[in-house]
Amino acid sequence: MFRGVEIEHLKKDFLLTRWNGLRRNVSEVSAVADISLSISSGQSVAFIGPNGAGKSTTIKMLTGILHPTAGRVSVMGFIPWRDRRHLAYHIGAVFGQRSQLWYHLPPGDTFELLARVYNIRRSDFERTREALIERFALGPFLDVPVRKLSLGQRMRAEVAASLLHRPKVLFLDEPTIGLDVLARHELRGLIQEWNRQEGLTVFLTSHDAGDIEHVAERVVVINHGRIVLDDQIAALRCRYPGSTLEQIIARIYTSVNERGGPS
Amino acid sequence: MNANPITKYTWIGYTAARSNLAYVGEVISRAAFMAVILYIFMRLWTVVYAEAGASRLGGFTIQQMIWYLVLTESIMLSSPRVSMEIDEDVRTGRLSVQLLRPLSYALTRLAQTLGERIVRFAVNLFAGTAVVLILVGPIRPSLSGLIMFTFLLPVAFVVDFLGYFAIGLCAFWLESTAGLMIIYSRFTMLAGGMLMPLEVFPPRLQSIARRLPFSSMVYGPARLFVAGGTDVFRQTLIMQIAGLFLFGGIVLGLQRLAFKRIQNHGG
Repeated sequence: MFRGVEIEHLKKDFLLTRWNGLRRNVSEVSAVADISLSISSGQSVAFIGPNGAGKSTTIKMLTGILHPTAGRVSVMGFIPWRDRRHLAYHIGAVFGQRSQLWYHLPPGDTFELLARVYNIRRSDFERTREALIERFALGPFLDVPVRKLSLGQRMRAEVAASLLHRPKVLFLDEPTIGLDVLARHELRGLIQEWNRQEGLTVFLTSHDAGDIEHVAERVVVINHGRIVLDDQIAALRCRYPGSTLEQIIARIYTSVNERGGPS
Repeated sequence: MNANPITKYTWIGYTAARSNLAYVGEVISRAAFMAVILYIFMRLWTVVYAEAGASRLGGFTIQQMIWYLVLTESIMLSSPRVSMEIDEDVRTGRLSVQLLRPLSYALTRLAQTLGERIVRFAVNLFAGTAVVLILVGPIRPSLSGLIMFTFLLPVAFVVDFLGYFAIGLCAFWLESTAGLMIIYSRFTMLAGGMLMPLEVFPPRLQSIARRLPFSSMVYGPARLFVAGGTDVFRQTLIMQIAGLFLFGGIVLGLQRLAFKRIQNHGG
């Protein structure tokens, strides 16, 4: 059984209802037109594209939140929308703009709750928690209510919370949004380290070239719900010598908008 | 660690209860509000009893009436903002984060609500008891009444949760669920017997109120605490079971339809 992420001809249409007086107009909007992709276990992939390209819709289908209109998806051998609760034990997710920590309680309390939610054996939980506290330097604020933490501290705790049940696939949606340069750098390093040491498959969406550069080895660019580029970051650098990754991405987006494909 | 699903939800309830106690100032202000409300009601009912020249109204002495209000106010003021939370989950896309867990969304919300509500109810009851002990003195509830009250109160909280949960799910279709929430809460207050026991209602209104689930959430438990009564217990239990089926059925139907409508909120 394939243990990574496999997507075949994924498609998602939304029905948009508009009322014009008493008349109801229903139109179909295609969020994801046709995506096929294979990510092997342990690989870190940046899944990027302009706003409205279909990134979040794809992530929501991969995590079982949305049912696709058509296509086949396998995440760790599970069909996400059918086996959502079983799959949840094997995946983690961090949404930069949404918190999973209890705001009025210290991160340590959320960790205790997650241990119960994911049925983690006590000894395993204590071992993982200690490893995360050490690597993410959570010790000084583990017992401080989340509302009193800086955004950088909170995001470190957020990522640690999502790794507590040792997921095999981690979905990161804009994980460094709003962080200062130092906090961003620290967080990327921690994700990269965990990816390498634990063989974690990372699926990253971000508009920040620094995130992509530090965390991912492969980049997939989508636009209008279709893949327009799928390549290794090292290969992109060879193709655009002398350009920073941000410049490369900007060129790809521009050519995609102008010609409907990368130059 | 225990794989029993009950452990998960119990722990969620426990965490919600702890989170609710995090702000000591809010807990104190809640208790102070309860004390003020009770003082006002006590003055009002003292005037009503004096004007009527009666020692009992609807079978209640003034002491029993004030203690009844302690219970109904404690129940009503302990109600968390369930429908607004769900409304927010839907509108902000926070629902997506909840669905990533190996948990049932409805049971998670139920556990959180019960955890919060038990803390709030305990604080309100403590404050109310302190005030009325000073103002009107103690009453002697019967042991059987207390047992029946303890049995029915959690069920009342569950029925009320289902009502608010159903309203929250309407956020999938409506611009705002605030209107529905206000109508529901006013029905619970008025038809539920928050301001006065159903025995004091005009006969026709009393008969209607007794046939609605709202009375089983407020009047029933409070009446059992103050004066006991197996008839009230039976009637309350029947209405609670009816409420569980009615609101539970609505929730199941709405949730099924709503989760099909989950849309991507972008970002």
